[in-house]
Amino acid sequence: MVASDALSPPKAVEVTLADRWRYVRYLFIAFLALWLLFTLFPLYFMAITAFKSAAETNLTIPTFWPREWFPSNFAGVFAEPTNFDALIDSFIIASCNTMLALVLGSLAGYAFARFPRQAGGENLAFWILSNRMFPPVAILVPMFFLFDNTPWGTDSHLSLIILYLVFNLPLATWLMMVFFREAPRELEEAAYLDGWTPFKAFIKVTLPLVLPGMISVAMLCWIFAWNEYLFANLFVGTAVRTYTIVIPTFTHGSQTLWNLQMAFSLIAMIPPVTLFILLRRYMVRGLSLGVVKG
Amino acid sequence: MAHVALKNVNKIYGSGTRAVHAVQDLNLDVESGEFVALLGPSGCGKTSTLRMIVGLESISSGDIFFDDRRVSDLEPQDRNVAMAFETYALYPNFTVWENLAFPLEVRGVSEVEQRQRANEIAELLHITPILDQYPPNLSGGQQQRVSLGRALIRDPSVFILDEVMSHLDAHLKFQMLFDLKRLHRDLKRTMVYVTHDQVEALALADRVAVMSNAVLQQVGDRNTLYNRPANVFVADFIGEPPTNFFTVEPAQNGDSIKMIVTNADLTFALTEQTAAAVKVHGGNRFTVGIRPQNLHLDDKGDLQAEVLINEYLGERSILSVANSQAKFRALVSPDVTAGPHSSVRFSYDPADVLVFDEKTEALIV
Amino acid sequence: MARLVVEGLCKGWDFPVIDDLSFTVEEGEFFVVVGPSGIGKTTLLRLIAGLETPDRGRIDAGAREITKVPPYRRRVAMTFESYALYSHLSVYENIASPLRARKVDRATRDRQVHDVAQLLRIDHLLSRKPGEISGGQKQRTALGRTLVADPDIFLLDEPISHLDAKIRHELRSQFHTLEDLRRVATVYVTHDYAEALSLGDRIGVMGNGGKLVQIGQPRDLFERPATLTVAEHLGQPTINVIAAELAEDEGNLIVRAREGNLRFKVADRHKQVLKDLKTRELTLGLRPQHVRPLENGGAATSIAANVDIFEPLGSMGIMIADTGGVRITALTHPEKHYGSGEQVTLAVEEDRLHYFDAETGRNLIEAG
Repeated sequence: MVASDALSPPKAVEVTLADRWRYVRYLFIAFLALWLLFTLFPLYFMAITAFKSAAETNLTIPTFWPREWFPSNFAGVFAEPTNFDALIDSFIIASCNTMLALVLGSLAGYAFARFPRQAGGENLAFWILSNRMFPPVAILVPMFFLFDNTPWGTDSHLSLIILYLVFNLPLATWLMMVFFREAPRELEEAAYLDGWTPFKAFIKVTLPLVLPGMISVAMLCWIFAWNEYLFANLFVGTAVRTYTIVIPTFTHGSQTLWNLQMAFSLIAMIPPVTLFILLRRYMVRGLSLGVVKG
Repeated sequence: MAHVALKNVNKIYGSGTRAVHAVQDLNLDVESGEFVALLGPSGCGKTSTLRMIVGLESISSGDIFFDDRRVSDLEPQDRNVAMAFETYALYPNFTVWENLAFPLEVRGVSEVEQRQRANEIAELLHITPILDQYPPNLSGGQQQRVSLGRALIRDPSVFILDEVMSHLDAHLKFQMLFDLKRLHRDLKRTMVYVTHDQVEALALADRVAVMSNAVLQQVGDRNTLYNRPANVFVADFIGEPPTNFFTVEPAQNGDSIKMIVTNADLTFALTEQTAAAVKVHGGNRFTVGIRPQNLHLDDKGDLQAEVLINEYLGERSILSVANSQAKFRALVSPDVTAGPHSSVRFSYDPADVLVFDEKTEALIV
Repeated sequence: MARLVVEGLCKGWDFPVIDDLSFTVEEGEFFVVVGPSGIGKTTLLRLIAGLETPDRGRIDAGAREITKVPPYRRRVAMTFESYALYSHLSVYENIASPLRARKVDRATRDRQVHDVAQLLRIDHLLSRKPGEISGGQKQRTALGRTLVADPDIFLLDEPISHLDAKIRHELRSQFHTLEDLRRVATVYVTHDYAEALSLGDRIGVMGNGGKLVQIGQPRDLFERPATLTVAEHLGQPTINVIAAELAEDEGNLIVRAREGNLRFKVADRHKQVLKDLKTRELTLGLRPQHVRPLENGGAATSIAANVDIFEPLGSMGIMIADTGGVRITALTHPEKHYGSGEQVTLAVEEDRLHYFDAETGRNLIEAG
C-alpha cells in the first residue's frame, strides 16, 4: 500500500544517471565508427584501384574515386592464359592440403584427446603445436633441398601440399584435440553399448559432434595454404604456379601495374569469401559445441 | 528488512508476433520478515519474476516496491538485495573466509568487523571448521552453505534464494531444509525462495506462491494449497503423489448430489456445502479430485479397486489401483501387503472431495 | 536372456572404488544398487557394461564370461545419468541406433521404434532433436534406446533422479509395468532410497569402500537393516540415532539414553538377545515414523518433549522435539501445526526399536 507521490525524488536522480550513461554510449559508438572506417579503407582503396587506369594509380596525390572506370582491367589480367591456371593450381594445393590436414589432424587429435597416455601425452601434443611457432624462414632453404631430392621435386602440386602440412597439421591436430576433448565421451560409450564398433562410433557420433569445429579448422588451413607466398615463390616456377606468385608479375618495365594487381587480388578473394559465406553458419556453431544437457 | 510488493508486474520478451509473455499481471506482497516461496514447473515465469525483483531484468510494465521505495528502475546494486545462486557462484581462488567477507570488503567495512561478522555467520551455518579452505575442495553441501553465508552476511532489504538446493542429495537437502528454517526463525529476514520442488517450498515457506504459464495461480500456506487448491493445476502440482482426478457426472438424489465417475464404477459423495455450491454453479460434467492420502483402506469403503502396483517406500506405501478405465493412487501404511490383482476398498471423507469446473478447471466452493 | 553373475569384482584408481563385489541378478530380476553419490555405483555399472576394465574379478552373462568382451559385443544396454543422447540425431534415430548397429531391416526397425515410442508416449516427438524436448522426454528417449536393444542385461544409471516429482512418479510406475525390463536381468543404480524400495525386487546397499553392505528385499532392508549405515541410508527423515545403555528397572530390562532422561522398555522379542550381551552400551535406532505425538497425553510409556521445529511437508509433517538432552525426529500428521517451544507428549513403538553394536554398528537383533 504505497502512495504514488513517494516516487518523484528518486526519479530525478535516476534521470541524470541515465543521461551520463547515454553520453558514454555515444562516445563508444563514435569510436566504433572510426575504427570501422580505419579497417574498411584498405579494402575500399583496393577495389577502386582495380578500376583505375594505370596512369591514375601513379598520381602523387591519390584519387579516392576513379576518374574513369576501366572494368577491362579484369579481362586484362587473363591476357596471359596461365594466370587463370595459377588460380586453379592454388585451389588444388589448398584443398588437397586441407583435406589431408583434416584427416590426419582429426585422427591424431582424437588419439590425444581420448588416449592421452598411449598417444604420448600432453608434452608431445604441445611439441607438435610448437612446430607451428618457429619462423618459416628458418626452414625455407633446408626444405628446398629436402624436396629437391624427392622423386617429385619442388616444382609440383605434391611438394606444396606436403610442405604446407608442416604448418597446418600441428594446428589441425591441436584444435581437433581440443574439440574432441569437449565432445562428451559418454555419447561414444552409449554408441558402443548400442553395438557400434569404436571406429563406427567415431564416424557416426563423435565426428558429427565436432563437425562445426572441424569446418572452422578447415577454413583456417585452407586460407593459410591459399595465401602462402614465401615457400611458393621459392619452390614452384614452371610446371606449377600459385596465384600468389603471379601477382608481382603485373609490371610494365619498372612500373608496377597496381590496377592489374588489385584486379587479380580481387578475383583471388572470391573463393575464400564465398567459402566463408557458405560455411559461416557452421563456423559460429564451432565456438559453442552442441551438447544436450539434462 | 523490507516489505516487498509487486504490482501488476508484466514481463514480455521480444515484440510483435514473436513476443513471449513470461510474467502476466503479477501481484504479490511479501510481508517484512516473511518467507515466501515461488513455486512452479520450469518455464512458468518464476525465474523472470525473481530476476525482476533483483533488478537483473527490466520490468515491461507494473512496479516493484521495497517498503515505500519504488525500485523498478534501480540498478541491482542500488536495490540492496542479497542473492544466493543455484550454482553457488563462489570465488574459487578465495578461501571460505574471504568469500564470506567479500560483500563487506566491497562496502569498506573494517577488517576487524569483517572477521567478526564472518565468524558469526560461519557459526550459524556450521562452517567454522572450513573457513580456511578453498571452495573447490568442499562438498556440494558445504559450498551451498558458504554461498548462503555470503548472501546472509550483509543486511539487505530482501534475500533471494534461487533453487539453492537443487544440486544437493536428498539427505543433505533434508538437513539444509531444517537449517534454513531455523535460520529464518532466528534472523527474521524477508526471504523469497524460488524452487520447482514442492517439498522445499512447503517445508520452508510461510506462504507459497504457485506459478504456471506466466500466471500466479494461488498464494497460500500448505493447508490452503492442499485442501482448497484454486484450480486443477494447483491440485495436480502440489502433493506427492499427485491428486487423483476423475471426470464425473452429477446425479441428484433428493437434496444431496452424487458424482458418478464416467469411465468406472465409482461414485463420490459430497458434503452439503459442496453440493450446494455445485448446484449454484450448474453444469453436467465436472472434474473431481481426491488426494491419495485422503483415501483410506477400509473393507466397508465405497470405492472398490484392483491393485496394480504396491510400492513399498519404507515410511509409507503407494497403492496404484484401477477400477475399469479409471486409475488412481492411494497412500497407505507400509504394513499393507496387498499385492497386484488383489481387490481393495477405500473410504473417504466427503469433505476431502474437490470439485472443479471441467472447462475452466477452477475449484467450485 | 541370461542371469548376471558378478564375482570378486575390484576396481580402483588411487584408492579402491569397487572392492571385492559379488552378487547375482537372476533373469527377470530388478536389482537396485542404492548408496550416496560418489560411492562407486556408476563405476559398477561401467564395469558391467565394459566401459571400464576391472582390476580383478569376473562378470558372467548366463553361461558366457564377458569380463574381457568389448562393450559393443556384450549385449548390454545402459542408460546414462546424463542421458547421452546424440544431439545431432532425431529422437527416432536415437532410438533406432542399436537396431542400425545390428543391421535390422528397415521395416522391422520402423515397427520396433514406433512400438517402443508409443509405449513410452514419445511417438509424437520422433522427428524432433534432443535439444527440443523436455527432461522427462529425453529420459524416455534414452530409455527407448535401451529398450529396443533387446539386450541380455539392462543397466540403468539414476534414470529418474533429476526429474520433477510428478514425472518421477509416472516413470516409476512405468518401470514397474514395462515387461521388457521385467524379462531380463536389470541393475538399477540410484541414491534415492525411495526409488530403491519402490522398484527393487532386491536391493544392494553400497557403503564406503565400495562394498555391498547388505543385499535383500526392500522390506527386509528397511525393517531389518544389518547395520546402522543401512538404517541411516534408508528412510527420510533419517532414523534417530541415540547413544544408549541397557539397565534394570524394577526387574525389567530397559534401555536408556546415555545423556538426558530418555528411556524405553525393551520389547519382549528383543529381551533374549540383549540379556546375553557382554556390553551394556549400544546404539539405539528409532525410526521417525514409530514416534508420534499423543493427542491428549499421559500414556504409560510416553515421553514429554518440547517442539524445536515443525515442518509440514506434503503428505506428512516432521517434528524435531527436544526430550531433555536428546533430540528426536517424529513423523506427524501434516495438518496439525506445532509451534516452536510447544509441549508435546510422544509415544514410541518400542517393539520397533533397532539395537546396534556401539562400535561396529552391526544390528544386534537381526544379525543374531
